[in-house]
Amino acid sequence: MTGFSKSIFRLLTGAVLLVTMSAQQASASIHDGGDAANGEKLFKANCASCHKITEEVLAAPGLKGIDQRWAGKDALLIKWIQNPQAAAGTGDAYVKGLVDKYVSQFGWMAAQAVDEAEIKDIMAYVKSGGGAGGADAGAAAAAADKCPKIEDQIMEEYGDSKDSSTLIWLIIIGVILAIIGASAANIAKSLKQAVHERDGLAPVEDRTYWQNAKSWMWKHRAYVGVAGVILVMYFAVIGYGKLNRIGINQGYMPEQPIWFSHNIHACQNEIDCQYCHSSAAKSKHAGIPSVNVCMNCHKGIKKGTISGDKEISKIYAAIGFDPATGQYIENFQQQPIQWNKVHNLPDHVNFNHSLHVTGAKLDCKQCHGPVQTYSVGRLAPIEEINAQEDVTGLIKLSKPTLTMGWCIECHNKANIDLKSSDYYVEMHKRFESSATGKRTLKEIMEDGEVTVKEMGGWECGKCHY
Amino acid sequence: MSNNKKYWTSLEEFNNRESFQEAVSQEFAPANNGLNAFADEKLSKANTGRRDFLKFMGFSVAAATLAACEAPVVKSIPYVVKPEDITPGIANFYATTYYDGVDYANLLVKTREGRPIFIKGNKSHGWGHGAVNARINGSVLEIYDEERVKGARKAGADISWEALDKEMSAVLATAKNIRVISNTIISSTTQKAIAAFAGVHAGKVKHVQYDAVSYNGLTTAHSEAFGKAVVPQYHFDKAKVIVSVGADFLGSWLTSNVFAADYAAGRRPEAGSMSKHYQFETTMSLTGSNADVRVAIKPSQEGKVITALYAALSGSKANVEGVDAAVISKLASELKAANGASIVVAGSNDANIQRVVVAINKMLGNYGATLNMTQHLNLFAGNDAEVAALVAEMNSGAVDVLIVHGCNPNYNLSHLNFAGAMAKVKTTVATSLYADETAAKCTYHAPDHHQLESWDDLSAVAGRIDLVQPTISPMYATRAAGENYLAWSGNNMSYYDYLRLNFNGAYTPAMMDADTNWYTAVHNGTFAAQTVVEDPTAVAGAAPVVAAAAPVASSSMDVSGAVSSINSARSGAWEMSLYTAVNMGLGNHANNPILQETPDPISKVTWDNYVAMAPADMKEMGFNLYIGEQEDSNLVKVKANGQEIVLPAVAIPGQKRGTVSIALGYGRGSNNEAIGKAAYQVDGDGEYLMENDMRTPIGKNAFIFVNKGNYSSFDVTIESMNATYPMASTQLHSTVMGRDSVVKETTLAAYLKEKSAEKGKATWNTSPTLPVHADVNGDGSINAQDRVPVREMDLWADHPVENVGHRWGMTIDLSSCIGCGACITACHTENNVPVVGKTEVKRHRDMHWMRIDRYFSSDFATLEETKENKGLGTIAAYGDMEIPTENPQTVHMPMMCQHCNHAPCETVCPVAATTHSNEGLNNMAYNRCIGTRYCANNCPYKVRRFNWFNYVTNDRFGKFNPSQDETMRMVLNPDVTVRTRGVMEKCSMCQQRIQAGKIDAKKRGEVVADGAIVTACAEACPTHAIVFGDLNDTNSENTGRSKNNRSYHALEEVGIQPNIYYMTKVRNIETEA
Repeated sequence: MTGFSKSIFRLLTGAVLLVTMSAQQASASIHDGGDAANGEKLFKANCASCHKITEEVLAAPGLKGIDQRWAGKDALLIKWIQNPQAAAGTGDAYVKGLVDKYVSQFGWMAAQAVDEAEIKDIMAYVKSGGGAGGADAGAAAAAADKCPKIEDQIMEEYGDSKDSSTLIWLIIIGVILAIIGASAANIAKSLKQAVHERDGLAPVEDRTYWQNAKSWMWKHRAYVGVAGVILVMYFAVIGYGKLNRIGINQGYMPEQPIWFSHNIHACQNEIDCQYCHSSAAKSKHAGIPSVNVCMNCHKGIKKGTISGDKEISKIYAAIGFDPATGQYIENFQQQPIQWNKVHNLPDHVNFNHSLHVTGAKLDCKQCHGPVQTYSVGRLAPIEEINAQEDVTGLIKLSKPTLTMGWCIECHNKANIDLKSSDYYVEMHKRFESSATGKRTLKEIMEDGEVTVKEMGGWECGKCHY
Repeated sequence: MSNNKKYWTSLEEFNNRESFQEAVSQEFAPANNGLNAFADEKLSKANTGRRDFLKFMGFSVAAATLAACEAPVVKSIPYVVKPEDITPGIANFYATTYYDGVDYANLLVKTREGRPIFIKGNKSHGWGHGAVNARINGSVLEIYDEERVKGARKAGADISWEALDKEMSAVLATAKNIRVISNTIISSTTQKAIAAFAGVHAGKVKHVQYDAVSYNGLTTAHSEAFGKAVVPQYHFDKAKVIVSVGADFLGSWLTSNVFAADYAAGRRPEAGSMSKHYQFETTMSLTGSNADVRVAIKPSQEGKVITALYAALSGSKANVEGVDAAVISKLASELKAANGASIVVAGSNDANIQRVVVAINKMLGNYGATLNMTQHLNLFAGNDAEVAALVAEMNSGAVDVLIVHGCNPNYNLSHLNFAGAMAKVKTTVATSLYADETAAKCTYHAPDHHQLESWDDLSAVAGRIDLVQPTISPMYATRAAGENYLAWSGNNMSYYDYLRLNFNGAYTPAMMDADTNWYTAVHNGTFAAQTVVEDPTAVAGAAPVVAAAAPVASSSMDVSGAVSSINSARSGAWEMSLYTAVNMGLGNHANNPILQETPDPISKVTWDNYVAMAPADMKEMGFNLYIGEQEDSNLVKVKANGQEIVLPAVAIPGQKRGTVSIALGYGRGSNNEAIGKAAYQVDGDGEYLMENDMRTPIGKNAFIFVNKGNYSSFDVTIESMNATYPMASTQLHSTVMGRDSVVKETTLAAYLKEKSAEKGKATWNTSPTLPVHADVNGDGSINAQDRVPVREMDLWADHPVENVGHRWGMTIDLSSCIGCGACITACHTENNVPVVGKTEVKRHRDMHWMRIDRYFSSDFATLEETKENKGLGTIAAYGDMEIPTENPQTVHMPMMCQHCNHAPCETVCPVAATTHSNEGLNNMAYNRCIGTRYCANNCPYKVRRFNWFNYVTNDRFGKFNPSQDETMRMVLNPDVTVRTRGVMEKCSMCQQRIQAGKIDAKKRGEVVADGAIVTACAEACPTHAIVFGDLNDTNSENTGRSKNNRSYHALEEVGIQPNIYYMTKVRNIETEA
């Protein structure tokens, strides 16, 4: 579904909802009087990965019309949300119907840690159909605008070979010109020879091209000399620049086994980076999501908007899932998906994601750039990172990404608040406990701020061991 | 009183031979130091000219540059379904228990991405402080050995488990006599399974237990005295006087790892009192090297010392030839004064000796105080008589089926010719992990899981059950040995289910049937002792299934008979003792290259066993005393009990004259069995040394000398073979050169006299001073008395590390360090230290980041006094220090990078590859290093190691370097770079752990708690000798110890301000020195 048709759909559902709402009598049920704004937050955090607020079945039934389907069963609904198995145990016929229809396909919903007031807020949000109809449609349209069009992206990423083709043409033209020039010289020589023969002069000395070129160069040695010096200097400068680019892989975008679009997932569907790269907050590795994480949604979403089932079926082939029956295949020999690593650090570099995500509370975009606009992952060039406007407190850097210069430039710019945690409070205390410490602190505080470098962020042993 | 001892690391230094002087005058060992058998002929014949070399190099640079332009594609492969408890990059720890029939310990196993990579002690819940030793923490490698048997086998060919079970059932149904032989089984579930098996095959089954080194004499004596054939639990921490006659209780005797922890706990000088330790022994053991008083005796005198002591305690007198009678009588009076707080142990397996020892301990009131017979050990319940009976029965052809349960009797019962007896058994089954000496000869092979893949419940100590839980799924199609008995008695239950059934049934049912209790027990690796019933035999579901007649409680132990029989023992010209090597154990770890390369604590020899001899004896026989230098060692033939062995002779100071000692546990795989690639000798090119188309074992099997349960022989003959053999030893190329600021030691009395002296002022720990040209002391004149402390003199600008941020440091208490080497193996596995093999060790290119320097010392005049008295020059004065080497004192000193705040290595590095961090660490950036080795030249401690080869890819290390093996390399720590050729490396103070600890604290926004970060060596140290911590944290234990007046810096006068402190060793001896 494209962004446009989706927004039309949302507009219509919103309108329908408004009609039904006005027709309904206000009552004191759980579906009324909640805070829809808070409900939206809760819904997105807890429910959105499986439920939609439309009628569409994602990895669980769509919630539209839940107030009518569960009318008069508030207590049971709360129980159902907080402990589905217990609710099923009550023997309610409707619940039994739900269990029969969905549990076999999607499994049990996890018990949700929400209280009654929170459920009320969520229901208010569900009932609102995602806010007032028009506004939601507008927001959806805006979201669609900020996300690049996927069709363009495919063209851009896979139809891009201009540079090399130009070079090849230049070389071909150069070779043709050289051949023409050589032939012309040969013809000129033959003609001269003919003239000499006719006039009875001594035959033209048989000289090679190289001898000719040498004598020509000797004749114009001043010009050749200057041109030579300029050429040498040019190549030296170019060569120096090229050598400095060794190890710089900005824009590196290897082909991946699955044409995975960050745009669709992170931009259009607004899935948080850490939903998939969940270990970024805990571990040194950000982690590539395992297939079972994909299946959280793709158990329900079996077709993509662009590629149909071509790409998604690769997930099923890996984990052994039959989309037709909605069941996992028993005793399936599972095959891991072999992704190509985009961000390659040498073995002797120890970078810790969790320290930067959890400790320093950096936005993922600070280092990875506008990934939500990319399709398959790529190494964001520094220019793209600096151009982002939606990152609060973005530290703009000049060195190419994933180089050591880039790391230490940031460590030289990023600040640490010595009052921000007990760890730094203790460090501060130690500074002030001795004369050396005080002197060091004074040096550090000369510019009024404490950078990571000043707290040891430039020490070799921080990253290399 | 200043310490006026001289320390020497080797006999070369001591005797100061010319070759030694030459060697020490060179910074690095010469490239070819007489390595005839190892010389690299190919290299010396190479004829690449200088110009060719330059051409090749130019090409290489160009090629490398081109190759570097395009980064290769790296795969990143996530799980398909990620296990919930695994987060890539984060380690998980599992509590489990180690028991291999010899060693026992409660463990925490570190796993990364599901692979066990590091073993440490379970300090919170473990028995005996969770102490581990080098053998245990080095064993983590063994799970990955490729030569493990990967499934059921029949006559060496693979069969399915179903087929094996079917055939076995048929065999068992017709068999008349079924025998099970095993090491001591302390798992109640396995015991139950065997009992059930015996029940199904009623009247046919008999289970015999033996221990690789038997303690039958000890259990027999206790059986007679207390009615229980068990080993008591010893509490060395509670003893004020410890007497050991031939028992290496810190290195290998019983549960030595736990004893080491207890022993050190009872010897903290700060407590004001220390235990006093007497050791009577033949060779210098680890325990003997730590003793306050060590007396060298012949093996035949062990019993006589015990009887003399017994006589002295009883008020009469008995002299032992060659032993100072005063020592015995003094010892007796000290024991009496200790009043129930002493321990007397003997290493002998002679029941008579043990009877007298029991009598002595009883007389001293030690039972119930330092010896616990209620919570006795369940370990070492082997019975020599039953084993002998079994062998006789097998030889008679009466045994139809023999099940060899997790042991290797063909190797360690080779003195009984078990292999010959086994050949007469119709059907044999082995359960070992390898097709070893026994299993290779068995009809069937039903391989067991590795310890780290198993479930089990073990009761080493009465009243305590420890759980074994898997840290990884079984790597191969193996099966729990206990499950065999179930399968062969018609029970389809898995061993785990059977264990749970046992857990919920046999153990206190009221407490244990709930899952929460089970999970708590699994989490802790043990369950609370108070919930276990008092009587351990009830817990264990009765002792061995078909045991000998129940021991009768009696006090009718015949002590006087024992005494007279001991005193009638005679001896020949030469005597021999067999001992257990501290690094290698009893052969279980023969395939473990880390342990093979861990040096022996005394001789520092790696990759070999040898005949230990007294230096004076060797000199008399014209043998070379100087291994590790220019010459090879002489081979000698030792003959005893009709057996003979040819091994190189090594001079061990402290060895009793007229004796030889040989380590057990070597010579594994003498028939080229598949017991692991690293278990065989390799030449300099990395090829196996072949003999008759078979790989040559490392060392020789000395078990053949065991005679009727005795690990010594009183009548042996020695003859020279007129042949030599190269030996590799790690510590002979470095020397203290007579400086007295490396090791500091004092006596307890001297220490107590100045216990509260200011740091640096006590006579036994004076801080060095330097004379200056200024009137410092204010006496009006400038003279030699005007001195300032070294720390005030400085060439360097200050590194602001004190009181700024963190300052990581370590304190090492030389009083507690026993030299066991657990820290070396822990460091090895934690930091991916390469194994370099014997050839390279011989070239002094061992890569150990930490080593334990072993210094011998003798009391004699200072160097200056010697020079003055005898009018000698410095070099000659060393040569003159011909002091008896018969029985020197020993100091063990762990040595690793000292992380100097004014590091000499940093100032000479041309590329700033080694720099100082603001946390006091000397960092090493491998990728900057270009290998000039200036830093190693300039290091006063000689702790930097140079990568001469690419140990990960070079073929010459292919047979034993774990990183060259597809499965074994899984043990590598992913948090530490594997270094490449041409770079320097050294102790990083476990930088990766420091970083991890700090990151953890920063993420939680909390301060780094003291003890939250521990280096691998400090974690492994069973005696709490090594303590790591933040020296800027005023409350840390480490800070406290660094300010203690015993602490000092090694080579403090150099003024390089290390962050590692040593603490003066205190010996509990009389103040005559």
